[in-house]
Amino acid sequence: MNVLIAISSKHHSEPTLKAGMKVANAFSASSTVLEVGEKINEFSMKEVYMARERIESWNFDRPGVDVLEWAFNYLCKEKLINDSSIERGFPKNTLVENSSRRSEVFLEKGKAKNISLIIRNGDIIEELRNEVQSGDYDVTILGGSKSGNLSFDMVQYIESSIFIVKNFQTKKKNKILLAVDSSKGSKKAIKHCVGIANAFNIEVEIITVTQDVKLKKANQNITEYASKFLRRFNIKNKIIFEEGNPVDVIPKKAGNDHILVIGSSSRGPIKTFFQSSTPIKILKKCNCPILVVK
Amino acid sequence: MSNLTNQLISNILFWLSRKKWLVIAFFISVSLFYVETPEGLTSDAHRTLIIVVTALILIVSESIPLPAVAMLILIMEVVLGVDTADGVASSFMSDAVFFIMGSLMLAVAIVHQGLDKRLALSIINITGNKTWRIAFGFVFFSALMSSFIGEHTVAAMMLPVALALLRYSGKKPHQTSNLSSLLLFSIAYGCALGSIGTPSGGGRNAIMIGYFSEFNIARISYWDWIKYAYPMMLIEVPIASSILWLTFKPKKKILDSAVRKLKVSVAKDGKLSSNQALSIVIFIFVFFSWIFFSPTIGLGIVALMGVFFYLSFRLIDWHDLTRRTNWGVVILFGSVISLGIQMNETGAAKWLADSILNSLSNSIDDPSNLRWFFSVIVSGIMTNLLSNAATVAILGPIVLEMGGDPIILGMSTSIASAFAYLTIVASPTCMIIYSTGLISSKDYIKAGWKLFIISITLLLLISIFYWPILS
Repeated sequence: MNVLIAISSKHHSEPTLKAGMKVANAFSASSTVLEVGEKINEFSMKEVYMARERIESWNFDRPGVDVLEWAFNYLCKEKLINDSSIERGFPKNTLVENSSRRSEVFLEKGKAKNISLIIRNGDIIEELRNEVQSGDYDVTILGGSKSGNLSFDMVQYIESSIFIVKNFQTKKKNKILLAVDSSKGSKKAIKHCVGIANAFNIEVEIITVTQDVKLKKANQNITEYASKFLRRFNIKNKIIFEEGNPVDVIPKKAGNDHILVIGSSSRGPIKTFFQSSTPIKILKKCNCPILVVK
Repeated sequence: MSNLTNQLISNILFWLSRKKWLVIAFFISVSLFYVETPEGLTSDAHRTLIIVVTALILIVSESIPLPAVAMLILIMEVVLGVDTADGVASSFMSDAVFFIMGSLMLAVAIVHQGLDKRLALSIINITGNKTWRIAFGFVFFSALMSSFIGEHTVAAMMLPVALALLRYSGKKPHQTSNLSSLLLFSIAYGCALGSIGTPSGGGRNAIMIGYFSEFNIARISYWDWIKYAYPMMLIEVPIASSILWLTFKPKKKILDSAVRKLKVSVAKDGKLSSNQALSIVIFIFVFFSWIFFSPTIGLGIVALMGVFFYLSFRLIDWHDLTRRTNWGVVILFGSVISLGIQMNETGAAKWLADSILNSLSNSIDDPSNLRWFFSVIVSGIMTNLLSNAATVAILGPIVLEMGGDPIILGMSTSIASAFAYLTIVASPTCMIIYSTGLISSKDYIKAGWKLFIISITLLLLISIFYWPILS
């Protein structure tokens, strides 16, 4: 399994990195820490690179390297990188430019299997999408954004599952809110929920929100399936039945002390493009970390 | 199968979402093609304007690479029958394009010599360790140098000096936010001010000089330009420094330890190498050639002479030179200038100029002064959204057809296109300082709007009281 953790700055990305590495460890996944820097417009691209070369000739780091160095130090502190690497410090010399918009630092194998550090420059969605496609990632983990369009684009265009670490308080004990219904995506969400519950060592609340009475039975079945499945992995759980519109009820229930796990919509891309989808609407309203499983 | 279809649809939707401006430009150009040609506009001019609108949308949105926009302009010019293939090809290359190509290559060659450390030492020796003197020195020297060797060359060399001072000041980046903004904007605004001083300050000046001679308005020499523009640059330096100081007043009023550390780190590099000395001599030769020979052989050919010497003396390899030169920009400006020439030849520029004047005279009785305000304000706004050379290339033919004194209007347009203070994308210099990650996009507006208004006022005063004396 491959996990991509997108970070942006030292000041805002600690929760993302912490949550991301927990998830990667729980799934024994290869993880890549990606820093997406500002897009440089084409008129200025060569001039900016020329200025960067001068900066490097003074032995100063180019922008973005400091963020990766901070991530490296964090991984060392958390003992996610092996001892010999820590002693040698952040290996700036292994920063290799793969293309004009992507550079990579290679690290030795640590506890979290392959960890690599990457810098990209450009439009965040485009860069994440390219990275996910080239690295065949299963989960992309990134910090919350105030922009609703960004959330939409992430779920719509990035092919992996998306874990958005919004308002994640590292010291607070959260619970998982697993939202299920009779759609296909829910079964995948249940499987991923096991990994997340193990990663954070927390209990799960399974919620199903019924808007249409005809679907009540089907929703009951899936919640029972979920509960059994979790029990099989010794994960404590309880079931909550609610009535109403899931887009209103689920974010309210999740509050800011849950990690919400939800399956992606089975709607086709065109319908989602024009009408959005339930997970995207929930994602926009939610004020807590949320994993949309694809 | 349905998975594959969904993936294909998703790819198409993603492409459309990223390229929406390309799609919009396509529909706008097709709709404009079928709109009846307005009265007074020839069919060729109508089609030229369609290309102008398409090009502007694509350049601002950057939805496709700039060289692709350049090629589209050339293709549309031929396919829409504005000119023959040979006609388009000959309008594509001109001395102004030679100049843009030569000056970008000269910039690469000069920056490659690693003169920045020596530059740092010279500046610091003159300014001393008081923060306000350093900031003033940054604006002054950036302006002085960029007026001769082009703004991005200077920005690339000055940036490490500013970063060194910030690093050596010993504080964490967020603790020096005002100091970072002060020093970085001193470079960016200094470079922008300097670029108005001489024709070699920016490609747009060469484009305007090219239009003056192409449209038989006047022959402006390198020295003539200096007489027109240099005083404005010199007056603006203390104004810009004061605005920056008042906007980003740093806590640290003296940078003694940072200056000391900078001197120590630079001193390690030893004396000026023979290659560095030679590169300075070549540039001085280029500068004097611009002054004395450019009226006969052209600004572009002089710039290419400089590149010839840098290559011949092996001061830079062709490989390094070609890798760092922004060829996309060269091709784009070639085709935008070609479009500017077509605007003039087909009468599209004249029609646009007349339409603008008519609409201005509807609202105000005497449009003569408004010509000036239109040229300057539109140029100032466009430069902050587009690029200064593209602004002059598109706007130049229109303002030169507006009547009044074309030299005053042309010079004002070209100078106003240097007022790139407000956005990150306004100029490579603005992007270079932004790429450090130490300043935010809001900082550009904070100081930029004040300097923008003062610059326009100063330009007005100079064009009313000083330029008429020269002509």
